[in-house]
Amino acid sequence: MNKWVLKGLKTGIKTTLYPDKEETSPGISPGLPQGKQTMGDEAQVVSRCPTQALNHIKDMISVDYRRCIHCFRCLRGIHNPVDWDKGYEWAVSIKEIDDASRMLGKAFDHSLHIRFVDGGACGACISEIEQINKPYYNIHRLGFFITPTPREADVLLVAGPVTDHMRLPIEKAYDAMPAPKRVIAIGTCAISGGIFGPSFASEGGISNLIPADIVVPGCPPPPLSIIHGLLLVVSRKPSASLTSPKSTEGERPHD
Amino acid sequence: MISPGDFFILFLILCSLGVVLSVFLPERRNPLLLAWISSIAAISVLWSSGNVLLYGLPFQIELWTLPFLGTMVLQMDRLSALFVFITGLVFLPVSIFSAEYMKKYFSRYNLKTFSVFYHLLFASIVLLLIANDIFSFLLTWEIMSILSYLLVNYEHEKDENTSSGYLMLAMSEAGTIMAAFAFLLLANGSGGLDFASLKSVSAGLGDSSRWAIFLLSFFGFSVKAGLVPNSIWLPKAHPAAPSNVSALLSGVILNLGIYGILRINADILPVTQIGMGLITLFVGTVSALVGILYATIRNDMKVMLAHSSIENMGIITAGIGAGFVFTVSGYPVLAGIAFITALYHMTNHSLYKALLFLGAGAVDSSVGDRNMDRLGGLMKVMPWTGLFFLIGALSIAALPPFNGFVSEWLTLQTMLQSAALQSKAVKIVFALCGAALALTAALAVTCFVKAFAMSFLGIARTKQAEKAIEVRRSMMIPMGVLAVSCLLFGILPTYIIPVLDHTITPLTQESVVDELVPPFFTVAKSDPKFSDAFVSEFHDLGAQTGRNVIPGRGLVVLHRGTERNPVVFAMSTSYTLVVLVLLLTGVFILIRVLTKARMVTRKPVWDGGVRRLMPEMTYTATGFSNPVRVIFEAIFRPSMLDERKETIAEHFRTAINNERKEVHIVDRSVFQPIVKWIQSMATLLGRMHSGSVNIYAAYVLISLVIVLIIQALL
Repeated sequence: MNKWVLKGLKTGIKTTLYPDKEETSPGISPGLPQGKQTMGDEAQVVSRCPTQALNHIKDMISVDYRRCIHCFRCLRGIHNPVDWDKGYEWAVSIKEIDDASRMLGKAFDHSLHIRFVDGGACGACISEIEQINKPYYNIHRLGFFITPTPREADVLLVAGPVTDHMRLPIEKAYDAMPAPKRVIAIGTCAISGGIFGPSFASEGGISNLIPADIVVPGCPPPPLSIIHGLLLVVSRKPSASLTSPKSTEGERPHD
Repeated sequence: MISPGDFFILFLILCSLGVVLSVFLPERRNPLLLAWISSIAAISVLWSSGNVLLYGLPFQIELWTLPFLGTMVLQMDRLSALFVFITGLVFLPVSIFSAEYMKKYFSRYNLKTFSVFYHLLFASIVLLLIANDIFSFLLTWEIMSILSYLLVNYEHEKDENTSSGYLMLAMSEAGTIMAAFAFLLLANGSGGLDFASLKSVSAGLGDSSRWAIFLLSFFGFSVKAGLVPNSIWLPKAHPAAPSNVSALLSGVILNLGIYGILRINADILPVTQIGMGLITLFVGTVSALVGILYATIRNDMKVMLAHSSIENMGIITAGIGAGFVFTVSGYPVLAGIAFITALYHMTNHSLYKALLFLGAGAVDSSVGDRNMDRLGGLMKVMPWTGLFFLIGALSIAALPPFNGFVSEWLTLQTMLQSAALQSKAVKIVFALCGAALALTAALAVTCFVKAFAMSFLGIARTKQAEKAIEVRRSMMIPMGVLAVSCLLFGILPTYIIPVLDHTITPLTQESVVDELVPPFFTVAKSDPKFSDAFVSEFHDLGAQTGRNVIPGRGLVVLHRGTERNPVVFAMSTSYTLVVLVLLLTGVFILIRVLTKARMVTRKPVWDGGVRRLMPEMTYTATGFSNPVRVIFEAIFRPSMLDERKETIAEHFRTAINNERKEVHIVDRSVFQPIVKWIQSMATLLGRMHSGSVNIYAAYVLISLVIVLIIQALL
């Protein structure tokens, strides 16, 4: 006999309590490197980074989250690993909203419709975005909904480096969205092109095509980071800046 | 005062004038002449028949007396007047439409012949409807059949048109022969050939001749009415004919079959066997269902409309069949309602089918294509044609407040009245037929949603459809007239039912107008027919709204039942329209108020982000009707050809060819077996012809011997 009702009642609510409470379950986030004081081994640490996310500035090793793919090479297998942040509230607002007409009003706080477009992602970000719609993370409880059409969407989620073939669909989707609208770049690829960078086949990040408002770093970012990004859009979480804002804006990694 | 008869003479003079002038005027002026003369003729015939219809002033004209055949008599009674009125109502807009439409045939086909045939056809149809003796009836019937064949086959340079024309002519002649035999059986033993003397002796006919007359006349006239199984010519004739002729074919000529059935089986020799009514009902229902099924899956606009004509004729015939059954079972009131329903539906069908054919003609002449898979997006370039076609589609799909709704609703209600009948078997037949008619009504919606949406909405599927331009005003106005009449016949049923009631009262010997349209506007206190409780109840509901302002009996169609069940059915499209208008304007104003402060931006349709939205990617007419095609696979029984060409790797298909061939169910199950049987018999007999003279001599000898033996035995 089908006992799923009973089983469900017995199991109780397992959904995460974030954002009301901190989520502390182990393995909820892979974490990101934090900068650290140099100890004379900066050249060795910096050279271990495959994506040139680590930089040596003065006496600090700083991390560029636009590029970090948290590969753990700066954590494991070296003597003096960098400090490791196990949190997940990584989303950052990178664009000041100055125009009042673009402001998402109070009405959107608990009714935000999301359209996700895969801009040539490897699949990791996609599976993390899938998670936010599932019972554990369940964005419906927050009033966030994924819609099939951009005509009803307030937020455009983009993952992947925006390949040549996906440029037009993303442009069209952004164009079809009613104002006011927001764009969230999910994952390192969507922020800076990631390990693909800009090339003949890749735009190298969504910002080169349409203005992104929020970036969620990570490769891939855990679901809670994505939820954090969505909460930032509706100002239900205070906007923070990247902990190590080593700005390289305007400069492309592989130029 | 000029009497209806004088107007009728005027009509005949105008038709002859049209014939003469179209011969002598230059060809270029012919379409305009046709429009003027025949529309004035239509108005005069409308006036003439309208007078008879409303005030009951039947007129009789005695033509010359023929040796052995009696006097040729023309008489317009109310039944004829109704059919003549519908004829005029269809001919008037179609004639105006023809002026512009026929221009496309200039220098390709002879416009003079068209004009001559057109006027002659008009005259012959009207004469046929008021012919009051067998000779003039059959004479005008033949003239009408041949002229309609000539007009259908107007584009005679196309081979397929000629063959469909021949099929039409052949079937029509076969039907005429059957009908003529029915008349001969009727005339057998009567003093004259006029209908009155036939009627006087008809009561003495035996059962077997009654059955023979019924079967011969019903199946003979069902050819013209386009009923299954004699309908196969109709879907072939319509695409061949010019659109204005199609409008006449469906709007007028099909009605003549119904007229023939009614004239013989309800007027001259009223049916006496319940089986006759059941056959009529069954054939009607099957026609309705088969017609709409094929209409739904056809993509050529005119073929679709032709199948839909079969469907509507089926509904009308089912109504008549129900009327026959009720008459025989002794329920004259229910029979009257059934006949009114059938005639109402026939009127409506003439109006909206003429409108839809004119719409199809407008699309055809503007785009040059009638296939819905190659149209699309016409609403942008042809807004008025689109609007009128939409009204026609809404009417035929039986949606309130348009006219199709009233008559289809009444038809279904009539089917439900079978509860009053005694016999269980008859009740079961009625229940099944009612269910089939309900299915038909539902499929009709599917069919016309497809017809309108695929042709007029979406994006243009071809260059021609994209570059189409709106037709000239002289083509739009006739469609507008028909669209407005569709609406009027829909919202004013309480004014039309009394007129129809006059028409059928001579057939059922009982007026049913009080049963269908209670006089809520005029009923006084303590009326013997309407109890005070009944009237006050409906006055509380608002049925007298409009009293002292609007003339007439009321705006509610209501059938009263027994004490226990005072209201059997009731509805009012007039009040529905008022409520509909109020609701729609209310919603419109509400939306305007709510969105006043909002910014509205217009963006292109979200196409899923494809590089370019190709017309092939959008929903096609074939795709839309595919569910119906799959569900009713057992009826369509297509033979499929699935051919795939693949490269050696078998991953890439270079070509996929899917072909689907369908043989119409009537062709497959009725005509093909007959043809096969005749051919096999011919092969069998053909063996006799061996070519040897000796054997032929032997045949002569054997026949001689057989004849001698028979002679000796007798």
